[in-house]
Amino acid sequence: MSGLVTPDDLRWYQRAVFYEVLTRGFYDSNNDGTGDLPGLTEKLDYIEWLGVDCIWLLPFYKSPLRDGGYDISDFFSVLPEYGDLADVVRLVEEAHRRGLRIIADLVMNHTSDQHPWFQESRQDRTNPKADWYVWNDDDHRWSEARVIFVDTEKSNWTWDQQRQQYYWHRFFSHQPDLNYDNPEVQLAMFDVVKFWLDIGLDGFRLDAVPYLYERDGTNGENLPETHEYLRRLRKEVDASFPGKVLLAEANQWPADVVDYFGDGDECHMCFHFPLMPRMFMAIRREQRMPITEILAQTPEIPDGCQWGIFLRNHDELTLEMVSDEERDYMYTEYAKDPRMRRNIGIGRRLAPLVENDRRVAELLHALLFSMPGSPVLYYGDEIGMGDNIYLGDRDGVRTPMQWSPDRNAGFSKADFAQLYLPPLMDPVYGYQAVNVEAEVRDKSSNLHWMKRMLEVRRQHPLFGTGSMEIIPVENPSVLTYVREEGDDVVLCVNNLSRFAQPAELPLQRFAGRTPLELLGRVPFPRIGELPYFVTLGPYSFYWFQLAETPS
Amino acid sequence: MIDAASLEKVLPDYLSRQRWYGGTEVPSTVRVRGIDEPVEGLTWVLVDVDSGDGTDTYQVVVGHRPATEPPGFVQGHEEGVLGTVDGLLLYDAILDPGLALSLLGVVVPGEKAEVVRPMGAEQSNSSLVYDNRLVLKLFRRLVPGGNPDVEVVTALVANGFENVPRPVGVWERGDYDLAICQEFLAEAAEGWSLALTSLRDFYAADCDDPAECGGDFAPEAERLGDVTAHMHVALAQAFGRHPSDPEAWAESLSRHLAKLDPNDVDQAAAARFVERLRAVVDPGQSIRVHGDYHLGQVLRTAAGWYVLDFEGEPTRPLEERTRPTSPLKDVAGMVRSFHYASRVAVAEQAEGQRQAIAPKAEKWELRNREAFLQGYVAAAAGTGLLPADEASRDTVLATFELDKAVYEVLYERQYRPDWLDIPLSALRRLLAE
Repeated sequence: MSGLVTPDDLRWYQRAVFYEVLTRGFYDSNNDGTGDLPGLTEKLDYIEWLGVDCIWLLPFYKSPLRDGGYDISDFFSVLPEYGDLADVVRLVEEAHRRGLRIIADLVMNHTSDQHPWFQESRQDRTNPKADWYVWNDDDHRWSEARVIFVDTEKSNWTWDQQRQQYYWHRFFSHQPDLNYDNPEVQLAMFDVVKFWLDIGLDGFRLDAVPYLYERDGTNGENLPETHEYLRRLRKEVDASFPGKVLLAEANQWPADVVDYFGDGDECHMCFHFPLMPRMFMAIRREQRMPITEILAQTPEIPDGCQWGIFLRNHDELTLEMVSDEERDYMYTEYAKDPRMRRNIGIGRRLAPLVENDRRVAELLHALLFSMPGSPVLYYGDEIGMGDNIYLGDRDGVRTPMQWSPDRNAGFSKADFAQLYLPPLMDPVYGYQAVNVEAEVRDKSSNLHWMKRMLEVRRQHPLFGTGSMEIIPVENPSVLTYVREEGDDVVLCVNNLSRFAQPAELPLQRFAGRTPLELLGRVPFPRIGELPYFVTLGPYSFYWFQLAETPS
Repeated sequence: MIDAASLEKVLPDYLSRQRWYGGTEVPSTVRVRGIDEPVEGLTWVLVDVDSGDGTDTYQVVVGHRPATEPPGFVQGHEEGVLGTVDGLLLYDAILDPGLALSLLGVVVPGEKAEVVRPMGAEQSNSSLVYDNRLVLKLFRRLVPGGNPDVEVVTALVANGFENVPRPVGVWERGDYDLAICQEFLAEAAEGWSLALTSLRDFYAADCDDPAECGGDFAPEAERLGDVTAHMHVALAQAFGRHPSDPEAWAESLSRHLAKLDPNDVDQAAAARFVERLRAVVDPGQSIRVHGDYHLGQVLRTAAGWYVLDFEGEPTRPLEERTRPTSPLKDVAGMVRSFHYASRVAVAEQAEGQRQAIAPKAEKWELRNREAFLQGYVAAAAGTGLLPADEASRDTVLATFELDKAVYEVLYERQYRPDWLDIPLSALRRLLAE
């Protein structure tokens, strides 16, 4: 049971480490070739052992699966391949028993066109759900709203033969937008939220929140009405379910994303999107500016809020999803760099992205775990799993979790041909080489390193909620900062370069303290009045607790 | 407060040991012209020194402790100790954290800090960093009528150029600027170090095109060009625009070229270049410039490139430093700096490797030079500062590059013969064009 995140801690999410799981790809309990909820429940011991605090589940609702489950056809039931409601209840109970929390994806903006609400709505213009979606006679309205999936959609309007009207959709045409101007829709979605919180989920990652409302003369993003609805949702949640978390996916510039925190009365958490590419860029450039620049442009957030930060997730890194300004910057920096061009905008897992250089992967995690925010890990990255870019779309990073060198990576006992996706079998990243079983045995594995880092992070709540101060260093390849909360002070020194580097740190403020290296608990020489000198190996980092020197 | 007579005894020796002291020998006499105690325990001294052709004025700040209890902070800074007078150990007050902290309140009334540290080796000033938030630059060699750094930084900010550390206070006294306090940019990195970082990456990389290399510097160089142009526009706005005189440039360049060894350059080519310069009809405008512009004078901060140190070359007379000239003088200074950086990074490599890397050095230099010029010209075009036609612009730029390279050749020949090849190769390249 976690020592840091306790059940009665209403702000647990500020110090938690999240672990993103694709139910389909984690573990197959009934050998039908597809991962399922009972399978995930069976593997909770592993997740607990790893030392994360909260599982984030990709959508597990009933769905025709034309958009990876983000096209929900019934908010109140589970996709049969994954199990049923009883399986969710059991998963939540078993997780809570281990001190783990669970949040799940929820799509507020739209449903599948197979959802009974839409089926009813499209019947005619007078049925009880006629106004649950956004209908119009022509397709000219709100032309200022951009088409997000430009590759597949020509317009945000699609003609419905049955109702003889156009319906509005910000994403795929099989995902009609709900009409939030209709009070019945507003209440129906409150009911959805309450239903799952009653079952015991600890919160939601809210997918595509900026688009709930439409207004003339606007681009339909981040409208005041959307924020107003989120405030009401938050109030409802806080009133009946204190300590549950709402995590917004608003893929925007940090200065705009902060609006989704409101005054601490909208979402508890928001993803920080631009930090991730900047971390990769800093290592590619071997200098800290890409990171310090984005930190300087990240506003303060209200009390009780937290950023969600990540290196990789189930989505590709699309530059279209960050602001124009950032996209231009990324293109200027990288358009001519074939390696980055290949990697940015294409879904890769962490290990292949860093060319399987374990030092780089460790440095990136050290940065992730020590930057302001709650880290989100992606299943499989803890063992250094690879990807299969030939699977196309986003499936390349959704291959089965590699549990053992056994058949089907130990993921399923189904026939190979029955698997939802083939496990990786290449000589470098394949399950024969990379799997949980082998890494549990090998104390020097990726997995043990990750577990150790999570243990250390857990001992210092300041990584979640402490202040952050950049320490000036002349060497541009060295990024140094101090995290501080109360009496606890941790100094993080990172070498972004492939070469060994020296750094002189002006630590006069901490003169008299003794740095204690946190992974090995080795005390370093006491800090004096002179600059503190450290040498760093290639891509290495130190976390030093600056402890009062024992007398 | 220590009395003037005692100070005059120890100052000559002390001054001769300071990096910021202009002379080369121990001065025979010094005169304390002003003395005060702006904060308790800190003796402020204005001291005149006879140099060969006039009088130089220095600012010295002195702390004291009983000689029997030498403070720990002077250890390792013996050059900062003036000596012992009447049982008191006198030392440079900036070494004393207590006095350095009080000094902040003198320069910026009401301002306080918890921690102070000296910034390290500097040529002509002494800087103190407070709480990693403010930097106080104490001018050592004083010029009557105000310090050009103070003058320019204040004017640039007033004219809307924000890429200088924001000034928060100036300590003036009579005719002198004594110190300036500015915001300190904690996350910043110097252009020179960033360039070397990029170069080391490129030299070690398994690729021959700097554009395809992770540490590519060109986007930074281009942004630096843009900032440089905006700096010049603000300087022109603050200090005025003047006509340029290519004839005067030609004369000065010829004079400088004549100081070279006869075999350094092709004399005929040099003469042809000077004629080409004389024939320039549109030389662009002359303005107040930075004057000592190179990669060590620019900082990359989270808000882009910042420019520092507007004092010009400290060894030149003030009148020469503030004289209007072509903004391309600064541009030339920066592109010379790209050249030096690329070659210094070669010299870091093992001897057997250097020859193989040399072509990479040139590629890096040219790529970043082009990117810098592109950023500069894009932002400066249409401001009237530059010659309108490209050929004249190239000639004027080459003029200042040549002038700078000549100066470098003379310097390297005297002090660092191993480096002589860097400016010589530049001279030859420029004259071959």
